[in-house]
Formats: sequence, structure tokens, C-alpha cells
Amino acid sequence: MTNFNMTRRNFGLLAAGAAAAATMPFSARAAGGSVVAATFPGNWEDGYRTVLTPLVKQAGFDLTVAPALAQDQLAKVMASPGNPPYDTLLMSPGQMATAIDNDLIQKIDPSKLKNWSMLDPAFQGEYGPTVTIEVNGIAYNPDLVPAPKGYRDLFENPAYKGKVSWTGFGSNTGVMAYSQIAKIFGTSATDMDAVFKLFKDNPEQIKGVVASTNHQMTLFQQGEIAVFMCSTGNVARLKSMGLKAEFVQPETGSPAAPVNIHLTKGSKNVEAAYAYMDAAISKAAQDQLKMPPREMFPTNMQVALTPGIEAFVKRDQLASMIYPDWASINKNRAEWIRKFDALVAG
Amino acid sequence: MKASGFPYVIPMLLLSVAFFATPLAVLIGFSFIGPDGLTLNNYGRFLGDAFNYRVLMNTAKLGLQTVASTTLLGIPIALLYWHSGKTARQVIIFLTLIPMLTSNVVRTFAWIVILGRQGPISETFVALGLAGQPFSLMSTELGLVLAMCQIDLPLIILPLIAILSRTPVQFTEAAQVSGAGPWRIFVTVLLPMMLPGLLAGWILVFASTSSSFVTQAVIGGARNVYVPQLIYREVGTLFDWSMASAIAVVLLLSTGILLVAMTMISRHRRLVGHA
Repeated sequence: MTNFNMTRRNFGLLAAGAAAAATMPFSARAAGGSVVAATFPGNWEDGYRTVLTPLVKQAGFDLTVAPALAQDQLAKVMASPGNPPYDTLLMSPGQMATAIDNDLIQKIDPSKLKNWSMLDPAFQGEYGPTVTIEVNGIAYNPDLVPAPKGYRDLFENPAYKGKVSWTGFGSNTGVMAYSQIAKIFGTSATDMDAVFKLFKDNPEQIKGVVASTNHQMTLFQQGEIAVFMCSTGNVARLKSMGLKAEFVQPETGSPAAPVNIHLTKGSKNVEAAYAYMDAAISKAAQDQLKMPPREMFPTNMQVALTPGIEAFVKRDQLASMIYPDWASINKNRAEWIRKFDALVAG
Repeated sequence: MKASGFPYVIPMLLLSVAFFATPLAVLIGFSFIGPDGLTLNNYGRFLGDAFNYRVLMNTAKLGLQTVASTTLLGIPIALLYWHSGKTARQVIIFLTLIPMLTSNVVRTFAWIVILGRQGPISETFVALGLAGQPFSLMSTELGLVLAMCQIDLPLIILPLIAILSRTPVQFTEAAQVSGAGPWRIFVTVLLPMMLPGLLAGWILVFASTSSSFVTQAVIGGARNVYVPQLIYREVGTLFDWSMASAIAVVLLLSTGILLVAMTMISRHRRLVGHA
């Protein structure tokens, strides 16, 4: 039998060799470099990894898709200023405003995007292109509850008692719904005291509060809840899994949020980041991302809507959607989060 | 002259300073920083809010409930192992370790199915006529303790098994011959013998439960709020790092006090049988 002897010198050489190997570039890497792009988890991560990776590769770059919720993306970039963990961020105007205030993202140079002119001018942001519009509403299980008319119905119709789930104010979907409920039951979109009172007067609604929309989708799958505030993408995903899920636009209008790609300040892979942005707004990518199970609303004007997306929203309806005042929301959000969490925890 | 062992400790010491002491010092330092410089305001805000105080108490309560339930389940399993033959012991070890090979996240999501309206607990109660209609244990403290108990059970069983496997079974036989009944044997022979293992298990279970963010958030829901969720909220949603640091320091201190109390109880002279 051979004896294996490891001397200190051998161990040192081995460790040095391993360290040197880790610094060597992999031959399979694209010559142009690599972009680390933050996307939302779930449908987004899956769609962007599948559809955009080959397109970015064609442009001569590698794409690493890193899933994180918009708030988490912000937290991570704030934690390492000057050395961001992502080259690009994916977020809605609420987080974008915070990112601008904290000097985390930079204005882009549209001349580096070949597909820029294919975007509707409303989607050509100075801090990055809009890649889709998330239209929000109410998801319900038609086997368990009737189609809700709107937010008021969820509080006043006994058919929904104990079957509705909500999220806290940290969730964009949640805060957009609460802004509408504040308008219905209070004096304005920021009158959250009316919302807190509503929940206090309806304790069965408080039982349905969970941490996130992803968590609600798991509970919906298990039949634990029958109604939750959602985006069209959430319902498309549930349907693709064979679940009975339908989307309702509330009678008071659908809140909507553009989703944008932003270039982080301090990114060391700017060219690769532009290649990724360009791929995300290209016809080739959006033609695939509009199909089930993603059903992302295409912002590229050359991409036709599918019947599935048109069932949710048409292009001419976009202007009539409700776009929340994120400046007001951001100003009050911390206080609302703390108050609502305390209310929910009893 | 015998050589000092200190040089051999230096690498570990350096690693501890670099990756434990320094981050901890940074965390503590951050907790004293406010918009206008050094301040105690973060601690004042946290401890001055009745809601936060209740969350802190609930976190300690959850830890103690899980320690108690894992102890009640873990001791019989460890004693069964002690009295078993070679094959049965291997089976017990295998069954104890198997859940640890699965991710905590996966186990937590499996509990959604078990605790849900259509889960086995609800269906069994309805089938036995103990409940009139299906019920859900999701977003309840009981459901969370059940899940934490299963997830953390190996942490108490393994130290107990380690202690018992070094102890001859004849100890109990000698006590029996001397006329001691089963309860007296358990209290005066087995319990003092198992205490070092129990103490290790309690510390592991308490630390794991009170910091288990995923299980607390998923099973406990938004109604059962614990300190790790508050820390996450401050960092990930409100971006208030100083407040998050202050909460983390309070959690560290309160957990430390409880662990010291547990250690003192387990070393009590009467408990360990030296009275």
C-alpha cells in the first residue's frame, strides 16, 4: 500500500497552486467580458437566463443572471459603494428614485443601443430602457371564489372572508394596491391611516398577510389562499403550472409599474452591460419573452402583442393605467412599513 | 524544556480576528452611528418601542419552546439508541442525519404542505372527528414550533448520543439492583450523565431557532414577527444599517444572557448529582 505523506512544503505548494489556478481566466469565457445582471427571481430569472444569454453571447459577452428582489438589489449595491456586485439593476420607478438619490446608478448613452429607436419614447428613460410594464390587479381561484370587482369587494363581500392574502408595505405590488385602497376608503392615495383602520376593523384580513408575492404564489398553489394582489406575470406563471388562476383589473383601475434596466455606478463591465440592455429590448428577445409562461408586455414597438397579453392589457390602455406617485410613497414608506408590521403582529 | 504550543494557535487566532472579531467590532460600531455622528439613539428607538420589545420576547420564547420540545423528543430517541443493538443504532443515526442532508429551505417549504388545510395534520384531525373542518397551522406559533422542532431535533440528539455511546448500559442496571425505580434512575443517574450533551444541544437549538430567518418568515408569516425579520427589514427594505446593527447587538446580548443562564442551570450542583 502506498503511504500518503503531506509535508508542510507540499501543502504550501498545493495551496499556492490552487490560489494561482483560481486567478486564471477560463478559456470558455467570451473575449469581450462578462456582465452580472440583477433580475427578479422566478419568471424573470428563468426568462432572462434562457432568452438573453445566447443573444449577449452573440455580441461577444457573457451574461450572469443574479436573482434578487429590487429592494435586495438596492441593499447589496448600497453595501458596497464603488464596487457594485451587479453591473445592471432591474427595478421599478420606486427603487429607481432611491437609487438616483443614493448615487447608485448612472445615465446611459443611448447611442450604444442599436435597438433604442424601437422603443416607444415613453420607455426611453435617461437612466435606462424600460423592458416591460407590469400591470397589477387581483389574482383569484375561480373554483373557490367569484371574480372580485375590485378592492372594496375584498373587504365587503363575505365570499372572500378568510381567503385573501396581502403583503407588507415593503412589496411594490402591495404598496400599489394599498395606495388604491387608501383612495377608496380614505381621502387620498397616501391616506394610509384609512388602510390601517380598515385592516384593524377586519382582523380576518390581517391573518392573510405574508412576507412576499412569491410566498403568496406558493400558498395559492397549495389552496391555502384564493385571492392575492398580483401582476399579470404572476397569473401567467400560475396558469402555466396548470393552476386555476385568473386576473382581474380592479374597477378603480390597474396600478402599473414600468420595469427598467439601470447601469450601476462603478460598473467595470460597461460595454457588456450595454450589450445586455440592447439584447433585452431587442425584437428577438421580446418576441420570446412575450410568450407563456412569462407573458411580459413588450416595450419594443415592432413586437406584436399575443392574445394572452391583450386579454390583460392592450397598448392603447397603457396610458390609462394608474402610475403611483413614487416620490410620495418613498417619503412615507418606512413609517408605513413599521406601522403596518406592528398592526399585523398585533 | 517543553516547547510552547502558542505558534500553532496563531493561524486560528488570525482567522478569528479577521473574520469574527473585526466584523463584530464593525457591527457594534455601526450601531452607535446616527445621521449626526455617534449616538445611542438606535438603541433608544429599538428598546423604547413596545412592539420591538415584544418581538424580542417572542424570539426568546420561540427559542425556549423549541429547546423544550426538542429536549422532550430527543431524550427518548437518544435513550432508545443507547439501549439498541448495532443495526438499530445505525438506523437511528441514519434517520437522524438524513434530514440534515436536505436544505433548510426545502424542509421549510415541505412544512407548508404538512401544516396546510389539506395537509396530513388537518386531515387526520378531521378524520378522527377531533376537528369539525379542515384547519391550517400556517402563520401560527404552534406550526412554527412544530417545524423548528423537526428541523433542529438532530442538534440535540447527536450530542446526547455522543455522551451516551461512551457510557455502559450497566449503569442503570447497577441502580436497579440498588433498588432505584425507573423515575429515580432517570433523575439521579441518566439526567446528570446526559447534562453536558443536553447543554450543548440546548445552545445549538436555541441559537439556530432564534436566528432561523427563512423558517420564521415562511411558516410564521407576517403575523409572527421575530428579531431576524426586523434586522432583514431594516437592511433590505428600510436601508437603516445602524438600526439593524443595534437590533443585532441586542439580539446577540439577549441570546448570550439566556445561554449563560442555561449553562448555569446545567452546572447546578444538585442537578449534576454532587449534592
